Amino acid sequence: MIRTTLVAFGAMLALGAVSASADVMQDVKNRGKLVVGVKADYKPFGFRDPSGAVVGIEPDLAADVAERLGVELELVPVISANRIEFLQQGKIDLLIATMSDKPERRAVVQAIDPPYYSDSVNILAAKKANLTSWEDLNGAPLCATTGAWYDKDVAQQYVAQIVAFDGSEKPLFALQQGQCVGYLYDQTFIQGKLLEDQWKADFAMPLEGVMEAPWIIAVAQGEDEMKTFMEETTMEWMKDGTIIELEEKWGIEPTAYSKRMHEEHKGS
Amino acid sequence: MNPAKTLPVLLSPRVERLHPPFPVFRLRAWHGLAVAAIVVVASGAAVAQGGPTQLSPIGVIMKWMPLLLSGFVFNIAISLMAMTLGTVVGLALGLMAVSETMPVRKVSWAVTQFFRNSPWLVLLFFAMFLVPYEFRLLGVTVPFPDWIKAVIGFSLPVMANVSEIVRGAIRSIPDGQWESAEALAFSRRQTMWMIILPQCLRRMLPPWMNLYSLVTMATVLASVVGVSEMLTLTSQVHAAEGGRPELLAPLYGFALLCFFVYCYPIDRLTRRLEHRFQVRL
Repeated sequence: MIRTTLVAFGAMLALGAVSASADVMQDVKNRGKLVVGVKADYKPFGFRDPSGAVVGIEPDLAADVAERLGVELELVPVISANRIEFLQQGKIDLLIATMSDKPERRAVVQAIDPPYYSDSVNILAAKKANLTSWEDLNGAPLCATTGAWYDKDVAQQYVAQIVAFDGSEKPLFALQQGQCVGYLYDQTFIQGKLLEDQWKADFAMPLEGVMEAPWIIAVAQGEDEMKTFMEETTMEWMKDGTIIELEEKWGIEPTAYSKRMHEEHKGS
Repeated sequence: MNPAKTLPVLLSPRVERLHPPFPVFRLRAWHGLAVAAIVVVASGAAVAQGGPTQLSPIGVIMKWMPLLLSGFVFNIAISLMAMTLGTVVGLALGLMAVSETMPVRKVSWAVTQFFRNSPWLVLLFFAMFLVPYEFRLLGVTVPFPDWIKAVIGFSLPVMANVSEIVRGAIRSIPDGQWESAEALAFSRRQTMWMIILPQCLRRMLPPWMNLYSLVTMATVLASVVGVSEMLTLTSQVHAAEGGRPELLAPLYGFALLCFFVYCYPIDRLTRRLEHRFQVRL
């Protein structure tokens, strides 16, 4: 019994290896369905609505890709720990899941250039503080999260006094208590916070983001047709301002990166 | 009637009550109510903190209840399927453990010990990342979704534990049963299926139910590998509600309550059956 099970397992593994085919574009067209990995816990880029569907900016981008290909769309919620494996296994055809551009990631999957989006470092500032430029900080206390790579750079470059706390809840609490003029953190996180009524009233993100960290769409190694197609699609998005439209649709301030890319490619 | 006036011989014998060697903590219905109450109170406190424009934690739970409960049903489904699969294979493994052929016994022993002593999460990872997401059988592509992999992952430890339960139950049947059966010219197979196993059933039932309870509670481990079960959904719901820290306790408390409400009656029933089936010598 056990031996039979083991043999069956072995056979499945062997067959599974065979099933990973070479041309994902052809597979997508044959089955009439594009499978895209997106986040389901990153508001507003990918999150659940009460019906259980995954919605947000990235699911909308995925829907656009499926429409261009003339196929149906299936979204697979991924987490950071499994997204690259899913792509390599062929479980998903395309990965649009808030993935930062890192050399070690580029070594195992194919990144689509130019990056479709970019996170950066920004400040969730109290409206009272009246910040209009980074220079306004001028030694003011700035709440931050311990261990963020940019804390020191910002402190030096913009002359701010960093008050660091661990996690993201404690600095936010300190900000609410008025211990600092703003909270220095990832811009996408701040954008998410500003979707809530609790924060919208007294806080804002008045500055341009600094220290951009691009996000990449990825396809599996060797899928050149898919890669070329996605590069063209990304250029189209930048040309017609799709990403800016989606940012506005989901209630966040369009990022400097999106606006700049749109400006650059508008005429082309 | 004054007991002092009763003749000593009429007094019922005083039985020393057996005290367990350590204090036993038993969950009772009021414990469940206490948990529920804590959740409600925590939610109430959170309401006081949040602004008037925000949905109260109870409101948030109500809003997401259908999604969260569908996740819970998924947990139950995984646990039931893993239990079924694990029991069938485990039964075979347990019978192999009492086989008369030495190599069969050894194989069963090795498999049982290996899977019984491996962390469940590791087995789950093993199933998740080593089993392909689809395979081709005679030209037909058979998809192998995450939940099937989770079922396989959980059925491995179930299999090993059921194997031990079966082996233990068979061994606990007095030798006299085997000897009498032999005297009545039953073959070994007949003895096993017609005499031994029917007697084992009621001995196996309580530990088996106990195991089921454990499997059900372990299914939330699947959230670690990205299966969309209740705990995964709970954290996604928390994110969708803007990650407000005051929602953490009510949301996870709700998940806790669901599992408690499901597992507690199983626990009570197990205890009753244990009591009823107690081996009387």
